[in-house]
Amino acid sequence: MPLPLSSAVSLPRKTLDSSLSLALSLFAGGGEMALSVAKCPSSSAAARLAPDHSPLRWSTLLRPFPRTVLARSVAVPSSKNWNLGVACKQEVGTVAASSPKEAPSKNVEIGGLLGLSSEEYRDVIGPNSSEREPTVSITVVGASGDLAKKKIFPALFALYYEDCLPKHFTIFGYARSKMTDAELRTMVSKTLTCRIDKRENCNEKMEQFLQRCFYHSGQYESEENFADLDKELKEHEGGRLSNRLFYLSIPPNIFIDVVKSASKSASSKNGWTRVIVEKPFGRDSESSAALTRGLKQYLDEDQIFRIDHYLGKELVENLSILRFSNLVFEPLWSRQYIRNVQLIFSEDFGTEGRGGYFDNYGIIRDIMQNHLLQILALFAMETPVSLDAEDIRNEKVKVLRSMKPLQLENVAIGQYRSHTKGGVAYPGYTDDKTVPKGSLTPTFAAAALFIDNARWDGVPFLMKAGKALETRRTEIRVQFRHVPGNLYKRSFGTDLDRATNELVIRVQPDEAIYLKINNKIPGLGMRLDRSNLNLLYASRYSKEIPDAYERLLLDAIEGERRLFIRSDELDAAWELFTPLLKELEEKKIAPELYPYGSCGPAGAHYLAANYNVRWGDTASDA
Amino acid sequence: MAVCFRCHRTAPSSVDHYRTLARKNKVWPASVPSLLAGHEAIRKWGFQMKSSNGYPLNVVSSQKEEPYIVHSKAKEDQIDSTVSITVVGASGDLAKKKIFPALFALFYEDCLPKHFTVFGYARTQLTDEELRNMIGKTLTCRIDKRENCGDKMEQFLQRCFYHSGQYSSEENFLELDRKLKDKEVGKSANRLFYLSIPPNIFVDVVRCASRTASSTTGWTRVIVEKPFGRDSQSSGDLTRSLKQHLTEDQIFRIDHYLGKELVENLSVLRFSNLVFEPLWSRKFIRNVQLIFSEDFGTEGRGGYFDNYGIIRDIMQNHLVQILALFAMETPVSLDAEDIRNEKVKVLRSMRTLQLDDVVVGQYKGHTRGGRSLPAYIDDPTVPKGSLTPTFAAAALFIDNARWDGVPFLMKAGKALNTRRAEIRVQFRHVPGNLYKRNFGTDLDKATNELVIRVQPDEAIYLKINNKIPGLSMRLDSSNLNLLYASRYPREIPDAYERLLLDAIEGERRLFIRSDELDAAWELFTPVLKELEDKRIAPELYPYGSRGPVGAHYLAAKYNVRWGDLSSQYS
Repeated sequence: MPLPLSSAVSLPRKTLDSSLSLALSLFAGGGEMALSVAKCPSSSAAARLAPDHSPLRWSTLLRPFPRTVLARSVAVPSSKNWNLGVACKQEVGTVAASSPKEAPSKNVEIGGLLGLSSEEYRDVIGPNSSEREPTVSITVVGASGDLAKKKIFPALFALYYEDCLPKHFTIFGYARSKMTDAELRTMVSKTLTCRIDKRENCNEKMEQFLQRCFYHSGQYESEENFADLDKELKEHEGGRLSNRLFYLSIPPNIFIDVVKSASKSASSKNGWTRVIVEKPFGRDSESSAALTRGLKQYLDEDQIFRIDHYLGKELVENLSILRFSNLVFEPLWSRQYIRNVQLIFSEDFGTEGRGGYFDNYGIIRDIMQNHLLQILALFAMETPVSLDAEDIRNEKVKVLRSMKPLQLENVAIGQYRSHTKGGVAYPGYTDDKTVPKGSLTPTFAAAALFIDNARWDGVPFLMKAGKALETRRTEIRVQFRHVPGNLYKRSFGTDLDRATNELVIRVQPDEAIYLKINNKIPGLGMRLDRSNLNLLYASRYSKEIPDAYERLLLDAIEGERRLFIRSDELDAAWELFTPLLKELEEKKIAPELYPYGSCGPAGAHYLAANYNVRWGDTASDA
Repeated sequence: MAVCFRCHRTAPSSVDHYRTLARKNKVWPASVPSLLAGHEAIRKWGFQMKSSNGYPLNVVSSQKEEPYIVHSKAKEDQIDSTVSITVVGASGDLAKKKIFPALFALFYEDCLPKHFTVFGYARTQLTDEELRNMIGKTLTCRIDKRENCGDKMEQFLQRCFYHSGQYSSEENFLELDRKLKDKEVGKSANRLFYLSIPPNIFVDVVRCASRTASSTTGWTRVIVEKPFGRDSQSSGDLTRSLKQHLTEDQIFRIDHYLGKELVENLSVLRFSNLVFEPLWSRKFIRNVQLIFSEDFGTEGRGGYFDNYGIIRDIMQNHLVQILALFAMETPVSLDAEDIRNEKVKVLRSMRTLQLDDVVVGQYKGHTRGGRSLPAYIDDPTVPKGSLTPTFAAAALFIDNARWDGVPFLMKAGKALNTRRAEIRVQFRHVPGNLYKRNFGTDLDKATNELVIRVQPDEAIYLKINNKIPGLSMRLDSSNLNLLYASRYPREIPDAYERLLLDAIEGERRLFIRSDELDAAWELFTPVLKELEDKRIAPELYPYGSRGPVGAHYLAAKYNVRWGDLSSQYS
């Protein structure tokens, strides 16, 4: 009897927001999918929960309560999966059943509870619930740094604003500078913003958030200082099951010190303790392995969350969905149809006085070995057994281990030089005061990589990354092969390469997916052109796309490891690049100079031409 | 590149034009490479090479340069050749609304040969001037370039003439012949007759025209339009009769849907893109839907329609033609015969349509918003109690290796809620879909779909599953879009322009060969007979609705949902 039902449900698509239709399917007895509505983001959590709870029970709960209440109340019975209770306002708000005014008032209520001490709070909530409800404390180590200010605190606020953080949470800033809580709050508040698309209660929310932020000053290698921190954390945790997340927003040379101190004297006794670290993970295989060994003295692999924030980008996440949830792409995803794959990263600015860190690493370590290679692995992997983190990472490691180590002749490096354009003089890389004179560090690199497996044998994967280029852009370009025996060959002129299909996934800016196809130009003639089958995110999706850090922080809190890098992935990635990096440095190979604001050194084109490839981003109809 | 003298059709790539010429004559001119070089030069440095006769080199073939081309199409354009286009039934609706405007559009775009004459022929007494007045009312210029519109119209009308005569009179056609000769003044004369008349006088006209008004120095071609009979028998009769006076080469059977931009583009999409052809089979395609709907009824013109019904009027020709084009194997080349050979193969591989795979409907009166919309049988030109279907849905199958088991669903109807012609390709489910649990219970809604919207608002879009941006893992179906209106600023030419031009140029690709026609009738004749013999009553549906429910059950029988009625339609 699917017919009458479907036509009844199908009518008002525009008004029926998808979460409502999910709710409908819940009422209709539909299963797992509905669960993801009630909780915050992350399918995996929904998946974990799915078997434990019957949809029926949920639907009975659903009826009498507004959605926010539901989301919170359902948290109570489940102590293991505490994160279930987290309801994202973004989803809740769209459900027609809940009156829009109810959610904010509820929030105010909770905000009011904040001022209470933990004891008082427990009284309000009731004696049992507080023991069951876990809390999470997020300590940003290096709180006064740039990344913390620009990305981490704003991301945490955004999560809070969207009701994605657990009900009980505390944020601590930790750094050497002396600061009061109020000073930290003032500093943090400068970078907080609300989503453009929904500004209600923005200030209130900010105030509530800031009230949960605290500061602790201490040395990075001092176990005592961390023990002090532990005391403060305990106070805020108020005897609840406590989970602790440390975000190491500090230079890599003090990673181990901090991890040692934190794990010895500030680990949670009754919940989990996780540590987020960000690149650089060493400079080569040896130093990376040394770092891993150092970390593992104090932490299990399970506790280490290595961030590659490119994996948190919306379109990188979407890559697997595009490929595995659509029938039309997967059949094409192999050497039989794909001629080459291009991973392109470009920035339109140079080091701008902050070349000190960069000069020690160079563009290959800074962008290629991590971000681009991670995207490549995700792009090229075999279908994983499931979407679980271990299954996906197993497949990614397989790709990395199937790759040929990069050869010197498959790499072109460049460095930008000064350039005057329109009366403005742009500095060269070596003009940067923080860069050593005569530095040979590449600010641009192009590389051709190959995966020696059955799916990709012979298909060049071209990477290109550079600073001070003409555009800012990150994209994945898939160029397809020529049509064998093309009937329309003569309509294309002499350059058949221009007539191949191309799938472009633009990661930033202006997120988009488009497929270039050959099409007949309307009219009486038989002229063909390349047109795009377009999906521009800005025109399709009105909501702001969350920053990568939001997703990654949330995943770390939820223990979702899919977007974090496992140590064997890291090892395999370094193995690919280490010999080449050594050779470049030992032979002191001079980078080809290119003008600031240009499209990079010509060497990149020759490299591509070696493999019969043209860079898609420089085509006239890119 | 300058606008080509001949026609925009070949302007941007004259090399292609040469190749086409060469191909058509099955000769490859030795000079093409050098021409190519010349073309390159034009492209690069922007100068135009002139040939000795003063025309741009890319325009008129010079026999010195192409010694191997004997019967070049371009040669027909030369000073000593002319084309006369006689519209038989010049006072009819089709002539006024479509044929004369299309001829003018071709003239306006410089697509007609330099020397041409247009003749109107009908029984009504009219002077040339009266004809011109009549035609003048329906001519329009392309919206996007209006320069010289008035001048051009005047020039065009000066080439239009009228001859009054009976359709069955050889003498009258002989008079026409004399007038034509006057205009042709000794040039090599090509003649095109457009039969814009009821089918019962096709044969008369063809007999008279061929006997007394055929060209003696060039070609004579006749364009005929549906209906080509009512069933296999009558269609066979018509073909035999036409062939008493004409060879198959001279008969151009128009199916104007084949001239629609997006139907023409179908082959381009499929054969010039690597990403589609691998998917084009039963392995990946779950079903194909061909949908035609009009949002109006017969509106007082049901006399003709009632004798045919929607199946003959839309399905057996337009939709089956699109189906054949969609489903054919890759042809050897783009030549008309190669393409039509493949289409015939598809039609001949198809299972004859069974009664239980057909649903028929007829619209009934309906009051909406205070306005009452008439039923089909309220039309005074429709016989009372008529059982003629104004709606039909059918499931067809192609029993070949590529398409075995894939339902091809057709739906055509009048007085529905929208006006629309589209092709929908629904793909199969993703095997072992990793994201299964993100789709809820209805996996059917999560399959990919390629939609080619033929009219209105021409578009191609591919529905894909995509992650809704945000922190959650929610998927939706989004479109990879190509909307013609936003991509191509130029007006899309009417199908008749393309088809008339093709007939003049002798390009038969978009015309229906007699064996195609036979095969198409063989598919439908038994079911049409059965419907009429058993007097099967159509299911009534309200004017302006989505059609009878029976169409849904027919689709459901093959586990299909009509894509145009899904909630995700956009």
